[in-house]
Amino acid sequence: MKITFADWGNYTIAFGSLFQKLGFEFIFPEKTNPRVIEEGAKLSPELFCFPLKVNIGNYLPAIKRGADTIVMWENIGGSCRMRYYWVIQEKVLREAGFKVKVLNFNSQNLLSKIREIQKSNQISSWQLLGAVRFFFKEINFIEKLEEKAQYFRPREKERGQADQVLNETLKKLTQTTNLKELSELKKESWQKFSEIKIDGNKEVLKVGIIGEIYTVVDGGVNFDLDKKLGTMGLNVHRKLNLTQHLKGGFPPWNEWLLQRKVNSYLKTTVGGHGRQAIEEMLDYSKKGFDGVIHLLPFGCMPEITVRPILQKISQEKELPFLSISLDEQTAEVGMQTRLEAFVDLMKSKQQLTANS
Amino acid sequence: MEKKTIGIPRALFYWKEPFFWPAFFENLGFKILLSPESNREIIEKGVKMADSESCFSIKVLYGHILWLEGKVDFIFIPRLKKNESKLEYCPKFFALPDLFSLIVKTPILSPWIDLGKNSLENTLVKFGKKIGKEKKSVKEAVKSAFLKEKEEKLKIKENYFKKIKSPKRKIIIASHPYNLYDEYVNLRAKKKINDLGGEAIFIDEVPISQPLEDLKNISPKFHWEFGQEMLAQIKNAIKIGISGAIEISAFQCGCDAVLKEFVEKEFKQAKIPFLYLLIDEHTAEAGLQTRLEAFFDTLH
Repeated sequence: MKITFADWGNYTIAFGSLFQKLGFEFIFPEKTNPRVIEEGAKLSPELFCFPLKVNIGNYLPAIKRGADTIVMWENIGGSCRMRYYWVIQEKVLREAGFKVKVLNFNSQNLLSKIREIQKSNQISSWQLLGAVRFFFKEINFIEKLEEKAQYFRPREKERGQADQVLNETLKKLTQTTNLKELSELKKESWQKFSEIKIDGNKEVLKVGIIGEIYTVVDGGVNFDLDKKLGTMGLNVHRKLNLTQHLKGGFPPWNEWLLQRKVNSYLKTTVGGHGRQAIEEMLDYSKKGFDGVIHLLPFGCMPEITVRPILQKISQEKELPFLSISLDEQTAEVGMQTRLEAFVDLMKSKQQLTANS
Repeated sequence: MEKKTIGIPRALFYWKEPFFWPAFFENLGFKILLSPESNREIIEKGVKMADSESCFSIKVLYGHILWLEGKVDFIFIPRLKKNESKLEYCPKFFALPDLFSLIVKTPILSPWIDLGKNSLENTLVKFGKKIGKEKKSVKEAVKSAFLKEKEEKLKIKENYFKKIKSPKRKIIIASHPYNLYDEYVNLRAKKKINDLGGEAIFIDEVPISQPLEDLKNISPKFHWEFGQEMLAQIKNAIKIGISGAIEISAFQCGCDAVLKEFVEKEFKQAKIPFLYLLIDEHTAEAGLQTRLEAFFDTLH
């Protein structure tokens, strides 16, 4: 059984090592790029949401390299279409003539499936725990790295240094197999980051990114939004990431706390990360951010539902707001223009408040 | 004291129980103002006001609610969450009262309907307290509204058995009730089919005889209230010998993007000609006519 998984930004490295440590032969999916998106969109149902199309595009080269099993998470808690991804992906790929199987994991079958894997791959519980622990450490490291890069990009004196450190570290991370190596890599990269010369007095605008988790996290899908904004001189913040998402359900009262924060705008869940988007936007406004960018796949049900509410908050709190829908038709140049205009807007608003 | 007026938009959730809600509020002593049947003006208003990426059905609802604004004392927009079998409504239904409270000034009446937790009667008794109605009168109103609903549904059933005996070519139209029954939205597809010499049958007229038995074998397990039901109805419809099938989807309907894959598969397996129609504010009647005529040419 050769396994592949959807490509999801830098997290793919961590998922790869998790599956390898669980005793599978893991074939890395193709990194998301325009060609991948085009190929995926050709096969997928036209009206389905964008991430499914990208996933299919990621799988195709991996299948050609021998992958016969795809792992997909079935989100039975949420109300959105993500829970049908595995059925539709299996159907689409089979109809296109590929003999692949989709293994669906969900919160109900997770434990029994893991036990099956332990049996078939002869993985002891100790090894399992180790693999999971390493996975979370890696995820945490990747998120911290991205945060560092977000901080250094607008401030560095010589352009491109932060990205160079980030890319080098990520490359080394793919070869890291144990905790000792990981902690050494951590030390090394923090050292490298601290050597970057920065302009400490520079006034940097702060922009928050909210929206649907897949598009927010994956630079391949959102045309490296982090980097684009960073080089324009903005400090990017994004609260939503895999760790945050996994933490959302534990402890159980997190759900209640979240609802309490957004209650005056929305009284119920709408699936996906709809409520989180509102909560994050309110939070960014409280912290005095200069603007918020909302990312979503075209027609994403939860995000479309909350968008009028986000626009309302933007009016009430006088917080510049830009919503960008992504799909296979989105062009990088168009996005660049919109971002530049939005940055100009934030700058002039800041000057206006500084003068008055 | 003068009777207060409740406005009910003739769109989306209205078509799920078109007889129950007006009857219920009338029994409670309210005046009812139903927005008119969809027309160009209403749709244009809705399209302008709604989010450009929301589905066509939501845009239609915006139009109807904007029509009601200023004409009534309350607007009725329930928060539909789950049905009796704990299956969810479309997630876009969840937030409707919140979204409309942003744009209308009229107070919104929105009972929280989660029938997996509370029966409809209990929900409405609670809701009745909020609008100052006694438990007893609410219970009676629910009962007689149920009777009304049953009566009307019986008529549909009789009609269905008449239809399937017809010698004409029977065409199934599969869609959500708010696309099927709103004639402006579906561009009078039913009349067009009947004019072309067919007998249009709406999917929701098809009975599911033993719900449990029929629903058991359906895969995948949909978490939406309409998914499994529609697939079971399609299976039953195929048994009566239909000549063709049409699915109508509102543009940007997220649920239909999933459902279509399985609806199409079902008909294709039975070798029944299948036509998929996407509707939105730009769909033109002449275009539909041509496509339907071409579709009829493919039928045997």
